[in-house]
Amino acid sequence: MSRPRLLDTIVAQATPRGLGAVALVRLSGPRSWEIAAGMMAEAGNAQGNGNPLREWPVRSGRLRTLYRPGTREAIDQALVSVFRAPASYTGEDVVEIYTHGSLSIPTEVVEGCRVLGARVAEAGEFTQRAYLNGKMDLTQAEAVDDIVRAASPRARAVALRQLDRGLSRRIARLRSELIGLAARLVHHIDFPEEDDAPVPVANIAAEADGVMGRIDRLLATAPAGELLREGATVVLAGPPNAGKSSLFNALVGSERAIVTAEPGTTRDAIEAVVAMDGFPFRLVDTAGLREGESGIERMGIEIAHRYLDEADAIIFCREVGDANGAKGWREAEWKGWREWRCPVVSVRTKWDLAGRKMVPDGDEIPVSAHSGEGLAALKDRLGSMIFGGLTRGGREVGGVVTNRRQADHLRVARRELESFAGALRKGIPGEFASTHLKSAESALEEIVGVVGEEEILDRVFGDFCIGK
Amino acid sequence: MILRYDVAVVGGGHAGVEAAAAAARLGCRTILVTPDLGRIGQMSCNPAIGGVAKGTVVREVDAMGGIMGRATDATGIQFRMLNRSKGPAVWGPRAQCDRARYPIAVRKFLDELDGLDLFQDLVTGIEFRGSRERIRSVRGLRTRSGVVVKCEALIVTAGTFLRGKIHLGQGTGHGAGRAGEEPSIELAEALGAVGLRMGRFKTGTPPRVDGRSVDFAKCERQDGDAGPLRFSCYYREPRLRQIPCWVTWSGPELNEIVTRNLERSALYGGEISGQGPRYCPSIEDKVNRFPTARRHQIFLEPEGLDTNELYVNGLSTSLPAEVQAEFLRSIPGLAKTRMTRPGYAIEYDYFPPDQLRHTLQVRSIGGLYFAGQINGTTGYEEAAGQGLIAGANAALAVTGRGPLVVERDQGYVGVLIDDLVTKGVDEPYRLFTSRAEFRLLLRQDNAGRRLGALAREAGLLTEEQSRALGRRLRQEKDGKRWFRGYSLDPARANAVLMEAGSAPIDRSARVGELVKRPRVTAEALAKAAGADAPTLESEVLATIEFDFKYAGYVRREEERAMHLREQAQFRLPDETPYGRFVTLSHEAREKLARIRPQSLAQAARIPGVSPADLQNLVLEVRKWEGRVTGRSMVNGS
Repeated sequence: MSRPRLLDTIVAQATPRGLGAVALVRLSGPRSWEIAAGMMAEAGNAQGNGNPLREWPVRSGRLRTLYRPGTREAIDQALVSVFRAPASYTGEDVVEIYTHGSLSIPTEVVEGCRVLGARVAEAGEFTQRAYLNGKMDLTQAEAVDDIVRAASPRARAVALRQLDRGLSRRIARLRSELIGLAARLVHHIDFPEEDDAPVPVANIAAEADGVMGRIDRLLATAPAGELLREGATVVLAGPPNAGKSSLFNALVGSERAIVTAEPGTTRDAIEAVVAMDGFPFRLVDTAGLREGESGIERMGIEIAHRYLDEADAIIFCREVGDANGAKGWREAEWKGWREWRCPVVSVRTKWDLAGRKMVPDGDEIPVSAHSGEGLAALKDRLGSMIFGGLTRGGREVGGVVTNRRQADHLRVARRELESFAGALRKGIPGEFASTHLKSAESALEEIVGVVGEEEILDRVFGDFCIGK
Repeated sequence: MILRYDVAVVGGGHAGVEAAAAAARLGCRTILVTPDLGRIGQMSCNPAIGGVAKGTVVREVDAMGGIMGRATDATGIQFRMLNRSKGPAVWGPRAQCDRARYPIAVRKFLDELDGLDLFQDLVTGIEFRGSRERIRSVRGLRTRSGVVVKCEALIVTAGTFLRGKIHLGQGTGHGAGRAGEEPSIELAEALGAVGLRMGRFKTGTPPRVDGRSVDFAKCERQDGDAGPLRFSCYYREPRLRQIPCWVTWSGPELNEIVTRNLERSALYGGEISGQGPRYCPSIEDKVNRFPTARRHQIFLEPEGLDTNELYVNGLSTSLPAEVQAEFLRSIPGLAKTRMTRPGYAIEYDYFPPDQLRHTLQVRSIGGLYFAGQINGTTGYEEAAGQGLIAGANAALAVTGRGPLVVERDQGYVGVLIDDLVTKGVDEPYRLFTSRAEFRLLLRQDNAGRRLGALAREAGLLTEEQSRALGRRLRQEKDGKRWFRGYSLDPARANAVLMEAGSAPIDRSARVGELVKRPRVTAEALAKAAGADAPTLESEVLATIEFDFKYAGYVRREEERAMHLREQAQFRLPDETPYGRFVTLSHEAREKLARIRPQSLAQAARIPGVSPADLQNLVLEVRKWEGRVTGRSMVNGS
């Protein structure tokens, strides 16, 4: 998106296209009341529609007929609400029009508004205006997108916390700690003749270490926080006939929330988005990993490896009967797996077939797609392994890092702070060292968007849905 | 009697002196009018000049051809470099001055200037051009004795005199501009009548005592620095005999006396309404706000070589004289002290400085300039810096030349003035190094390099000063070239390195690299190079050393400064109709309309103007310019 154009009035359908009881069309900008009034005006009957919108009570609905501009042709009967700047979502004058939820009605209303002078909004532009008008900071604006996209209850809960300034507050606390450090230095530098002995420089460095530790703790939430958006990719892997597909179906089946299975043969990978333990996962069933003879099998193996490379976790399946077998596995491939970056959960499938005396190896989880045994334990393990940093005592922690942009700035802040403490310890004078402190502070400010940078805006608002 | 001048200056304090001198140096016929010519350049508060940030301002004033640095050198009785244990960017030269000799020196340097006349009288009125409803510009001034001075530009530097009121305890308030001096009532009224906003500040002074009654054995002696230290980069004034200051500490007994008498204080009795400076609190404030502090540091500063009087720095107060005498006697070393002058608090009118341009011209009235405490600042140094800029700009405007503006990355004077006109003040304003976002660039030792050429181009430097500047800059340049290019062999280098506790080298190394090491000085390296090194003054060597030692940091700061300069390219015309920019927040519109920033960079510094407001501002200004000019001329697209 290019430079924000805040001077004009924008319009968009805020609800998804398709049939439904109600559809919402939203107008925002200096001319939104005027344009909405235009939609309610029947040609040749200028006074026929009651009070002008500026006299309407705000935040209450009125039923009105909408006309195609300049005609007597009615589009729909709609509920119309007005909001007065700055008390609106965007901080501007806003009109919300609730029409019947057909395919054509909202489209015609948007078109009518466009004819009357509104511009069709770009993706995320309403939220962008809310940010630019100071209604929310950047992390909150990002949270709006996260809430809409949240594919699991926990992801939504984290996003809601974010909208409620969860991360902003943690950043604000860190920032005020940095300002505290700067204040020590100011006292040290600008008031050399004061009576109170200044805080020794070594103490200031130690305090900076403390802040760094707190940044680290926040950064530790980043990998999981980022996975909340797209879901953690968990790949089922193991030899052919290890019961991977059954386990996949069992995991997907009991959490039927959102399933988008891609078409494919058994040799291809099948994918499903699933909420487990309240967290979003992209579950992938791969073809058997063992090198096969035929071309098709080889293809299957390629697909498997491609997924394994982007996996956030692997469920490594072996069936009960494979107790000592598959030696080729262990030596040729399993070894290599251990060097992968992502964690591996070993499961022993078809446990219902196991004899009474059988015990699982090490930390293997015995599961049965047939009886459902062990599924809960597996979900629990996956949830805590990947998203453990986001919860404390079963509740979501307040304020986590949910995207790359936030993490990048935090890392800059941390690095500058490290340089700051290092410089002080090396005996570099405070006024030089403090330039690092200033940079750390600006990095934190960029996270919440105190500093306005067009690039950030473009990145933040680029992939938004229309009308939020 | 009617007199005609190009520039008239009202007031003869530190601001007025620099303003008059700058206008005269720029070739304008200038007159300085003040009620008492015997008190030109008077030090109204403590007998010291300089300090952290403030000392750098003195050097900047000096680099631009001003008087304060030279007068301090000529009358200093103790010189110290504050913050010497810290980095060179925050060193602050400071001098105790002989209070009686300082005004004499100032008067002497003023008398050297052609085209500057002095006149003793109280200014009681200002004459304007334009109608009563719409005053356009200033035309002259009137004095109490009926003299009229016609002028093109008028600089008001009234200090604490505008409706000044002195308090020495509850119920003692009386009109005065300084102890024993009459306030300026009519002038305040004349300025108030032209629609300028006014405010009221207060400040205070401590008592002074007879040094013969002080037991110095109970005090700590504080001597000045041993080495040579001076403020002026152009002149070598002979130095007076140097004498020490003394330090002592008040104890719980003083706290008790102050607390017991608190309601007798004019400050706490509710008689004083003006806002005082938080960084320079009265003893009443200290005791009341920090009750846990059992002792307070007190400096006994000598008033001069020919007097026994001492200035009791740290005990500014508005308590009655008898209470002052009582708490003084509670202080170790002062048990038998005789007070010579009680301290007092003073309230005065100021004009919120967001009504000014960067030239210090009142935005709404042509030819009218304000400098010094009238703008809500404190400090001799801050006053001098403003005076020089106001005087120079008045003269430049009168003679049809472009303005002289010091940018924030060029000098503390620039930081000071930009802060004043952009943010206004809510307490008496004093400079700190932390107010300067580019303080690494603004060292006390490089003022000549930062501002000398600027002043020379504006015409502020005399022949003599220009030549001295040229010599200094040439030495810096030659010296730096030598440091970059010359290599020292281990035999000669290692003695220096060892001395500094630094690791020895086994093959030749550039001196410019060696000097970056901690504790290794440029002077020692130059000495080790012997006859190979160019002859450089020790001050120049110090400057070169700092330049090399912190080059990485300085470069980073210079890059930031460049970035800001780009933002400053987006100009905001004076007539920009902020009230019509509905996409800006109400607060932003109101502040922008009041302050009328010159550039986007300045707008960004106004508190209450958000990044979102700035983006909208760019769009609105482009749109408005497009309408006004037919196409976007001023700021491109």
